[in-house]
Amino acid sequence: MRDTGRPLPFASAARGVFDLTLDGMVFSRRSLLMGLLVAAPMAFAVLYRVLAATRGQPPLGPTDLYALMVAVYWIRNVLPLAALFYATSLVADEVEGKTLTYLLTRPLTRASIFAGKFAAYVATTFTLALPAAVLTFFILMTAPTAPPLASALADLPRDLGVMLLTLVAYGALFGLLGVLLKRPVIPGLVFLYGWELLANVPGYLPRFTLTAWLRSLVPYRPAEDGLAGLFQQVLPAGQGLAVLIFVSIAFVAAAVWIFSSREYVLDQ
Amino acid sequence: MTTPAAATAPVLEYTRASRWYGPVIALNDVTTQVPPGVTGLLGPNGAGKSTFLKLAAGQLQPSQGEVKLLGVPAWGSPEVFHRVGLCPEADAFWENLTGRQFLTTLLRLSGFDEAECKERTARALDEVDLAAAQDRKIGGYSRGMRQRIKLAQAIAHDPEVLLLDEPVTGMDPLNRRRVIDLVRRLGREGKTVVVSSHILYEVEAMTRRVLLVHNGRILAEGDVREIRDLLDEHPHTVALRARDPRRLAAAVVCWPAVVSVRLDPAGEWVTVETTRPDEFYGALHDAALEAGVVEMHSPDENLESVFRYLVAR
Repeated sequence: MRDTGRPLPFASAARGVFDLTLDGMVFSRRSLLMGLLVAAPMAFAVLYRVLAATRGQPPLGPTDLYALMVAVYWIRNVLPLAALFYATSLVADEVEGKTLTYLLTRPLTRASIFAGKFAAYVATTFTLALPAAVLTFFILMTAPTAPPLASALADLPRDLGVMLLTLVAYGALFGLLGVLLKRPVIPGLVFLYGWELLANVPGYLPRFTLTAWLRSLVPYRPAEDGLAGLFQQVLPAGQGLAVLIFVSIAFVAAAVWIFSSREYVLDQ
Repeated sequence: MTTPAAATAPVLEYTRASRWYGPVIALNDVTTQVPPGVTGLLGPNGAGKSTFLKLAAGQLQPSQGEVKLLGVPAWGSPEVFHRVGLCPEADAFWENLTGRQFLTTLLRLSGFDEAECKERTARALDEVDLAAAQDRKIGGYSRGMRQRIKLAQAIAHDPEVLLLDEPVTGMDPLNRRRVIDLVRRLGREGKTVVVSSHILYEVEAMTRRVLLVHNGRILAEGDVREIRDLLDEHPHTVALRARDPRRLAAAVVCWPAVVSVRLDPAGEWVTVETTRPDEFYGALHDAALEAGVVEMHSPDENLESVFRYLVAR
């Protein structure tokens, strides 16, 4: 029996919004483009194996290449970009398409709407990233010059966890930007490729970036000269995990609060 | 479940409610109560009808005053949407969903289980005559079908209160008639239906009780016939888009109720002026079928002139 005196329970409301959003997200041009971008390291890995087989061992070892893919390609660049393009549009797409009215005229709290949409974003982007990361790992770590697979395998769940946390933390921030600003993409890009560079300066400033905390969770320190400088300062991993979880919750809570108190005038 | 206070309160109540967008006043100091039955919200475009409905549907907050729906503030009370349905004006959908998926998704978001979603979806689709098109994507629907599926989502959960913003816009005469009959039936069943329109004759076909909105104010409320009497000297304009517009023009030009007939240069639209709209609409059905009328609307110039007259009085 439905209780018509209350909004729908949070979990079932969020689940309904999740299902609806997931359908639209998975089968979108955005996902096709992001899928290609996220999966590109698989092509690099295959190319690496072909080159190693035909022209001899490249100067960069398979472990170093995998480390570059995880730490620099996915965690520093592509996953934050995916977060920017998906999370800023969680509410904006519904506003632009004028379909938000249908959600706001159901017995759903706005918190459950945002939560369902955020969960759909994480599920979509992580589903794109997961197979790419696993396949890249196996393609590279089964190379003849790679260390024993059994020892490397222990790192894989941790890498996937950090990638998930990357999507959650940046997604929370960009979700907040999405409900706060009308055009959040440019400020988001400025954050990613301006503010986040503070992670590479000495002193206390890296603590104000997400990159520095995420970097603290991966053990890879690629040995190339040019990149060595990038990884000079490593923050404590335990603290990094706590900070990232805390800021993710704080950003999502702020986004929910703004979304709940804001009017959306869709056809004036 | 409803609280005792909510159970005895008026269905929809505006108390000195105003709403402005920056310097523009969309609704100005409105105090009114909407009783059960059908109430027509009549006014020219830009009069404040949509703002009136958006305040009722909790889409906007009043800048001043209070709007209560089923005894609770309309803004920030999502629980009332178990008992309220809104047919918005905007022609907006998740285009990749089929008509059936659209309804089941929204019913699920209203808290119904799978079996009930299925049953209510089928019933709502029948109600708006879209059962045959239920598995087609909404992106491929005609304008009239889109209007009807929008109406179906508003009625599918059997709400006590229905807020319909220009629900028959873009429909062909047959479906317009069907929707008008549906609204009347819902009113007879004791539901509270607020239906906005800028076409007097459309509202008159649904109800006698109207709220006249003009420049953000409730200009008058009461029996639509009093307003209608004022219209006698103003010909009513109807624009019809037909597959065979010349055939339509030839058919209607000889009707006594028709004052003039005009074909647009592109040869798609026929614009008819009539002094006796009831007679005209009554006779239109067969001619519209034969000429393949696909869309019909009525520009609001006549209504504007009535409002100017009322304001000057």
